[in-house]
Amino acid sequence: MKKQVKANPGDYINIRTTKENIEGTLLESHEPDIFLLKLKSGYNIGIKKEDIYDIRVIRKSKPEESSEKEKAAELKSKKELPNIAMIMTGGTISSRLDPLTGGVKWLTSPADFFKFYPELFGIANIKKLEIPFMIASENMSSREWKKIAKVAAELLNDPEIKGIIITHGTDTLHYTASALSFFLKNLNKPVILTYSQRSTDRASSDASLNLQCAAQAAVSDIAEVMLVGHASTNDDFCYAMQGTKVRKMHSSRRDAFKCINSKPIAKIFPGRIEILSQYNKRNNSKVKLNAVFEDKVALVKFHPGMNPDIIDYYAKNCRGIVIEMTGLGHLATKEAYYNLLPKLKQAIKRGLVICAAPQTLYGWLDPYVYSPGRELLKAGINKGKNA
Amino acid sequence: MTDYLKLGLRSGLEIHQQLDTGKLFCNCPSILRQDAPDFIVKRKLHAVAGETGEVDITAAFEAAKEKEFVYEGYNDTTCLVEIDEEPCHLINQEALHIALQVSLLLNCEIIPVTQIMRKTVIDGSNTGGFQRTALIAKNGYVETSEGRVGIQSICLEEDAARIIKQEGNAVVYRLDRLGIPLVEIATFPDIKNPQQAKEAALHIGEILRACKVKRGIGTIRQDVNISIKGGERIEIKGVQEPALIEKTIINEAERQKTLVKEGKSRLEVRKALPDGNTEFLRPLPGAARMYPETDLPLLRISRQILDEARKSLPKLKSEIRGELKKIGLNDEMMKLVLEASKIEELKSLIKIYNNPNLIIKMLVLWPKEIASHEKKTIEDVESSLTIDVIEIILQAIKSKKIDESQAKQVMKEIAEGKSIEDALKGEKAEGAGNIEEEIIKLIEEKPGLNINAYMGLVMQRFKGRISGKDAAEILKKLIK
Repeated sequence: MKKQVKANPGDYINIRTTKENIEGTLLESHEPDIFLLKLKSGYNIGIKKEDIYDIRVIRKSKPEESSEKEKAAELKSKKELPNIAMIMTGGTISSRLDPLTGGVKWLTSPADFFKFYPELFGIANIKKLEIPFMIASENMSSREWKKIAKVAAELLNDPEIKGIIITHGTDTLHYTASALSFFLKNLNKPVILTYSQRSTDRASSDASLNLQCAAQAAVSDIAEVMLVGHASTNDDFCYAMQGTKVRKMHSSRRDAFKCINSKPIAKIFPGRIEILSQYNKRNNSKVKLNAVFEDKVALVKFHPGMNPDIIDYYAKNCRGIVIEMTGLGHLATKEAYYNLLPKLKQAIKRGLVICAAPQTLYGWLDPYVYSPGRELLKAGINKGKNA
Repeated sequence: MTDYLKLGLRSGLEIHQQLDTGKLFCNCPSILRQDAPDFIVKRKLHAVAGETGEVDITAAFEAAKEKEFVYEGYNDTTCLVEIDEEPCHLINQEALHIALQVSLLLNCEIIPVTQIMRKTVIDGSNTGGFQRTALIAKNGYVETSEGRVGIQSICLEEDAARIIKQEGNAVVYRLDRLGIPLVEIATFPDIKNPQQAKEAALHIGEILRACKVKRGIGTIRQDVNISIKGGERIEIKGVQEPALIEKTIINEAERQKTLVKEGKSRLEVRKALPDGNTEFLRPLPGAARMYPETDLPLLRISRQILDEARKSLPKLKSEIRGELKKIGLNDEMMKLVLEASKIEELKSLIKIYNNPNLIIKMLVLWPKEIASHEKKTIEDVESSLTIDVIEIILQAIKSKKIDESQAKQVMKEIAEGKSIEDALKGEKAEGAGNIEEEIIKLIEEKPGLNINAYMGLVMQRFKGRISGKDAAEILKKLIK
């Protein structure tokens, strides 16, 4: 490469290499040694920077028009339909491919997003759209959960809003669902979390059915924090699953989220709802925000041969530990080479809260069946049912 | 006779050929199945953003929205990739290797860094709503007697699911074909008359068949683009065989001639019929929307991958013919060996005994004759008359243990179940007197030894075929 590059992604350029002249639209490249070019045929090819002799800009790219205008644009509403609110937080469902640069980016004009899902507007009006932040869900923390909860509480106490849809990345969606279940007290309306596993540029994206069913759930009678998503690989209906009893159980399938130790609250079809279990009914109480969370709590998975020094480490740095225990709630005790009990007792004495959870995921804990369970209970470890 | 030059005929070919490998973006085998599927998946498609971000509300999308797509799958030969429930795996290296070979044989420039693209498809034939495709090579050519026909592009892409039936709003597809690798070869519109189109198609076909591609009905699809002066471009889909390409172009050029006169020529896609005519299929769609397959890294064709393709380039039949002619085969023998695909065997056996006509008889003709005579299958016969067995027989001919004229009898006996040794021995009895000649030859090969040394050599070579007494007598007679 002999010349300084003055071309930007989106520019229509001519690249001269030692072998040929190639014309095309410059795209963003994630590989530092490569220029990515969209040819007239629509195909993208890469050109090694070291082979390039000269680059000439033929046409500068036009900046994407008017996202400002569109952001401000009123979301159309129909009088006869109920009003709901949407909170966008990021994730696959809130990203799109930028055809100009070839990169995947967060939605810049959310109004665009709704154009792909016109069915949504046959069910409810999106009266308010809130975007507290846009991040991938693996980057969430309690700070973000608190922000979402605060926005949600305000919307829930707005008499014009019948329910809320929260769109979110899938990786930690079930953590957020659980946090919101605890943060929003006296829940009066549906709080629906939904997602997509397939990007929205695909005509086959699961976002379409998930959003339709989310809207259906948001105007329903069910005042619960629920995760709504594909019940199976088919595009026919979704499950509404309780926020505290749901978990991502597959890395890629549409029906990744499953109820753990519980049944779905309802089957949701676009246009109708089939109730499956008991729920908290829509009511007139005022939602109270109770967004308290202790970050200095470790989630530790017990495994065979676990060194007790690990407990020591957490005990020094945390205020509490949740231990994923084996079976009905067991850890290595007296007859083990590595007995964890002494370190755990020490930690409890120092004021740490230690809780148990089942690493089997399915089934309840029961400390009374075997002696190690009773020993742990005696030591002062809290055993929720399947908390 | 139509003057196509005057008519301003321009035509190009687009050929899709399935490769004989596993699937392009997962590890499933490329097997089409006739048995009942193990499961079905029901899906819908919805509108997506167009190139500039607007919703693509074409008539096709509107139609797709109303439809339900049902996909039939198998637990053992389809996986989550075909049902769009798992990101695609890295590209199949064997398929890439074959695509590179085809590109090189068509004199193309290989694109060193390319991106796998998603081409929007909304008829439901792809579960994802798009077909994955990558530009592999460009700017090649194929020679014809009337000049070169340029190759515009060679792409490696995945085949679509195959349609099984349509019931009201539901379309049923089977996933077995989805993901089978295809090479797509597109020529420039350099073709000037129907005869040249046929020639180019045959030549491209020959190149494809020299590589590892699938054979049989449905494994190759040929489309033809055609226009005449003053007329619009017509795309004709699915011409069944190269022979029909010529007839189809002749007929379409005639049809266009009339339409141009009447001012009625339209851009459209037509379907090829088996009689060389065409019928209307749909208006020409806009350029397909293409965007990157964001789940895969850029595809870099390393020097090593390219060298491997280059080193292993298969020979074309026309080249092989030239070689066989040099060996001294007549057309009939050439045809036999080509049809039976025994070129490699022929080449290796010639090195042992240089009589190609005899070898072809042993490789191709006689096994067939023996099979029909013995009422056995050719596979049965060939399992006893392997190339190793033929090699031993040729060795025996070379060392004059048997005569060329006896080879067929030996083969017959082996096919009947005799051991190779016995079959060759049997021939010895009939050809008595040969041993003496062979002993003479042995003495000529190693002159100047004493009689005991010769005795040792003779007994070693003709063990079991001659007694010590007989050997001593012959030697005494020969060495004075």
